[in-house]
Amino acid sequence: MKYRLIGVALLGIALTLSSDAFLTASNLLNVLRQASLIFLSASGLTLVIVGAGLDLSVGANVGLSACFAAAAIKSTGMLSLGFGAGVACGMAIGILNGVMVTQLRLPPFIATYGMLWMLYGLNYWYMAGDTIYGFPPEFRALGSGNWLGIPIPVYLMLAALLAGGIFTRYTIFGHEVYAIGANAEAARLSGIPVGSRLILSYTVSGAMAGLAGVVYLARLNSAEAGIGDALLLPAIAAVLIGGTSLFGGSGGLLGTLIGAIILTLVLNGMNLLTINTNWQPLVTGVIVLLAATVDSFTRRRSESRA
Amino acid sequence: MRKTGSFVLVMGLCIGLAACGQPTETNVTPQAQKETIALFTKNQTNPYFKTIRVAAQAAARAMNVEVVDYIPTKADSIPEQMSQIEDAITKRPSAAVFIPVDSKAVVPGVEKFNAAKIPVVNLVDRAEGGEFVSFMGCDDYTVSLETARYLLKKMNGKGNVIIIEGMGGSSNNTKRVAGFRKALEEFPNVKVLASQTGEFQRVKALQVTENLLQAHRQIDGILAANDAMALGAIEALDAANRKAMVIGINGTKEAVDAVKAGKMLATGDCDGFLQGCIGVMGAVRHLRNMPVPKEVIFPITVFDSTNYQGADIPYESRDCPPWEKIVKE
Repeated sequence: MKYRLIGVALLGIALTLSSDAFLTASNLLNVLRQASLIFLSASGLTLVIVGAGLDLSVGANVGLSACFAAAAIKSTGMLSLGFGAGVACGMAIGILNGVMVTQLRLPPFIATYGMLWMLYGLNYWYMAGDTIYGFPPEFRALGSGNWLGIPIPVYLMLAALLAGGIFTRYTIFGHEVYAIGANAEAARLSGIPVGSRLILSYTVSGAMAGLAGVVYLARLNSAEAGIGDALLLPAIAAVLIGGTSLFGGSGGLLGTLIGAIILTLVLNGMNLLTINTNWQPLVTGVIVLLAATVDSFTRRRSESRA
Repeated sequence: MRKTGSFVLVMGLCIGLAACGQPTETNVTPQAQKETIALFTKNQTNPYFKTIRVAAQAAARAMNVEVVDYIPTKADSIPEQMSQIEDAITKRPSAAVFIPVDSKAVVPGVEKFNAAKIPVVNLVDRAEGGEFVSFMGCDDYTVSLETARYLLKKMNGKGNVIIIEGMGGSSNNTKRVAGFRKALEEFPNVKVLASQTGEFQRVKALQVTENLLQAHRQIDGILAANDAMALGAIEALDAANRKAMVIGINGTKEAVDAVKAGKMLATGDCDGFLQGCIGVMGAVRHLRNMPVPKEVIFPITVFDSTNYQGADIPYESRDCPPWEKIVKE
């Protein structure tokens, strides 16, 4: 694991040397707060990918859940109801994904790709080009507030990391998901209830996307149908940059956290150094590939040494 | 389990289909052959285009025609708009009101309309080829120039600003940023600290502003290439307890509300409602052999705390203004 931090460390050193504003407490907290949004939507997805599945509906799920939560808050004025509605909406989508993959036996890519379009359609119809905006400060604190000087989304991120870490490492269920990801048939033969475990992993992914949607909403103080569109690829990229294999059976949440931080650092660094807008996509691509190369190189060396 | 899964799926599809059916089923009268106008907008997400669609329906009521919407499901999708043009041609509308998702790439689609002898009015963004009855739009460059001038005057011609650009390579972004830059040339004591892309997205603009606030102690003004990004920047300022004067482009209702609340300085706009009205009216007038000028450029408004009234009336309850009041021959 410690080798995986080398990419982040190199990026951090390079930015420290090139910008005075980078290595300050306030900027590092800023980076963590931005990373927390990617992490929250990628955390449940990590579990799905560990189980050799895929959830392409994450971004669309974030969008629909955020809009749903926004509508619930606007129409009832109850913040807890809005929070619950957002998470429940995400969770329901996750359950449907799980059922499609396990009961209808659709390939995860197809099932969640279809879901993605259905969610876009529902959301476009539901929002009809409108924006829902203007929420009470108590709700917005969830996205933009601080507690003891640390942004609240960062606490949510740490809580998800801790819960997920315990879950994958110290529960039988967690081990079963890894076993299913490594070899589903062997897992089935050894008595693991593969179907229900997979449904649960998709449910967690959906619920985390729903939670991310609510935090997004609180952060932006506004919901529009396209709110989660830009999130899908970064979420998957964070999981994969973090070393979780698309083939399942290996990886974990700490890696995803590092992936989310790398993606965030790229934008942060480009802004601090005011890199020309036209070059930014290219720079993003190069940095992501470099970070992944450092990771894969150091990991291979550590594996051959062990 | 299998049953419940498929039931919910079917339900979902029903809702989806019902939703898609809604807009086209209105206003169909069996007796008279109404003229039909195919209206092409860019996406379902930007409220600006919703305003144009609502205005088009208001014009349809006023002129007694039917307006059918064609909207890509994937926002600003070139291939989707191209195939929607083909779909529309098979249904033979009397005329089309066309907003290109890309000013160059969809020109072959316009040529298909021309080949099918369906007259086309080009609305909002100018297409770079094909035959049109008229181009009606407003000039992005002038809108952003005027709005930026307004901000720089409010700053008394001095201080630090940042620019939040839209999607690189898009023609409206290029024009808007050029308008900002031109205004900045007129105020040499204003320093541009950074010009970074927010890709026309609220969340990206929020993060970019957060990052720039880290790098720069004093930011007095923010020029955003659309309202969604301006509002994202305002959220970042609020969270950091910093103050700056923010301008955006589009005049969306949300931005006008922010202007009203004193959070945003101004938003520059070519009224989308007016464009939707006049676009459809122009197409119908052409069909009815009434004169339509080759080019209609809509007036520009910079909404600030003194003149937002009128911009905050819900569009659904508005009627189109008479043609003669807007289009001077």
